[in-house]
Amino acid sequence: MTLENASTTSGEDTLATEETQANRFERQAKEAKASEAPAAGRRVTLRGLKAYYGDAEAIRGVDLDYEPNKVTAMIGPSGCGKSTMVRCINRMHEEIPNARAEGEIKLDDLDIYGEGVDVVAVRRAIGMVFQKPNPFPTMSIFDNVAAGVRLSGTKTSDMKGVVQGSLRGAGLWDEVKDRLGEPGIGLSGGQQQRLCIARTIAVEPEVIIMDEPCSALDPVATLKIEELISELKQRYTIILVTHNMQQAGRVADSTAFMLSGELVEVDETERIFTNPNDQRTEDYVSGKFG
Amino acid sequence: MPDARAQFHEELSELETMALGGLDLVVEAVERAIETVLNQDVELATMVIDDDDRIDGRYLEVHQGVLSLLARQAPVATDLRVVAAILHVIKHVERMGDQCVNMAKLVPLAGHEPPADPRLLQNLERMGDQARRQVIQSKLAFARRDVELAQDLVRQDDQIDELNRDCFHIALEIGDDPDRREWAMHMMLVARCLERIGDNAVDIGEQTAFVVTGLFREFEDASHPQLVPPAPAA
Repeated sequence: MTLENASTTSGEDTLATEETQANRFERQAKEAKASEAPAAGRRVTLRGLKAYYGDAEAIRGVDLDYEPNKVTAMIGPSGCGKSTMVRCINRMHEEIPNARAEGEIKLDDLDIYGEGVDVVAVRRAIGMVFQKPNPFPTMSIFDNVAAGVRLSGTKTSDMKGVVQGSLRGAGLWDEVKDRLGEPGIGLSGGQQQRLCIARTIAVEPEVIIMDEPCSALDPVATLKIEELISELKQRYTIILVTHNMQQAGRVADSTAFMLSGELVEVDETERIFTNPNDQRTEDYVSGKFG
Repeated sequence: MPDARAQFHEELSELETMALGGLDLVVEAVERAIETVLNQDVELATMVIDDDDRIDGRYLEVHQGVLSLLARQAPVATDLRVVAAILHVIKHVERMGDQCVNMAKLVPLAGHEPPADPRLLQNLERMGDQARRQVIQSKLAFARRDVELAQDLVRQDDQIDELNRDCFHIALEIGDDPDRREWAMHMMLVARCLERIGDNAVDIGEQTAFVVTGLFREFEDASHPQLVPPAPAA
């Protein structure tokens, strides 16, 4: 099983490790969460982040704060490093042969690259939704959502409740409640993507990264996902990679523009689309290059 | 670097040319309206009134073009500010055209051989010339994105305001003859129209500054006299 297919989890091979390892990261995360009322997203802080593919430097020292309970859109031309950067945030970048990251990434005060931090716990706290909906093809709708919980090793006495809550959270419950046993792959593209979002939120993450979540969807399904993003930010911190300027304009509180592995500018979305500070941002959002 | 939205930028440029071309129509209308007043030319007055259809038509054309661009192209950043400014510019064009119509309509009311006062007419001629120059300057400032030239419109407008006050004083001292006073009253309305055209030109100057700086502020605001115009972006 690949990481991409697992969506929010790394897979069964890491499960045993997780169960035997003293999970300082998860304990601290739970403690932090318990002290907060109600559940709130957490701040992700990048300082001097660099990422490499072999010798090639894909991210060239980025400082950026993702504010809690806000949607931050990442925009920039193909190859600018958006996806690489978000994959560093949930430690998926290092899964690629010869790929590595340097610098500091913090989830509130926790250094996710710190010594002894469990990678699986990081990926549970920082969930990811991909461009193409990727439900497990052999599993039912119910099992697709439950899979995230089972694979992450979390014990629950009320799996039905977790699945129902997650499907409701993803705005899919009313459409699938009478056919939970049917294959997830039988849903429409937009429904499959919301199923993947349900699978992501089933493990109660702190942050959700969405890497072009609507690029394979039709306009109506896109608007449903966008509406869902606005609801999800009440509980989670959202990082949205998108090539769709209007989507960034519609849903993001802040927008960050990247170019050639560098962060050119980050500001309130309205500012980026009405009067950006940097000429390169102006040229990109105006379509003068890209 | 190739422009990825070349067609959109071409359309936007055409729309701006069309809107600023409306100011050329206004210049022509101001010239004719003032000539109408100076010569009590009823026939020319009718032409000014009829020709306002051209300005109104231009307004509709640009307005529709703006809506179309917003709907189809979703302009952002400077492009968005230009589109918003064009909408303001064309509205001012339409208003200035209406002021010319108002002036033309005052001619038949004043009678064919009115008891005209040469000093008042001379002042109105100067006001007309000043208004005409301001409209031309506002067009140039917008087309060149020249904030300094746009801000200079405030200084220019002070002159038209001063001439307007002069007209008022002349009208006050026009004497007791009822016909002469009625004529002077109508000429004050003409002066008011020209004064408003000057204000509209300043407003277009403010839109120029908005496009360049991204910040909208009135160049002069009676309720906030301490405000200064925004400086051009570095």
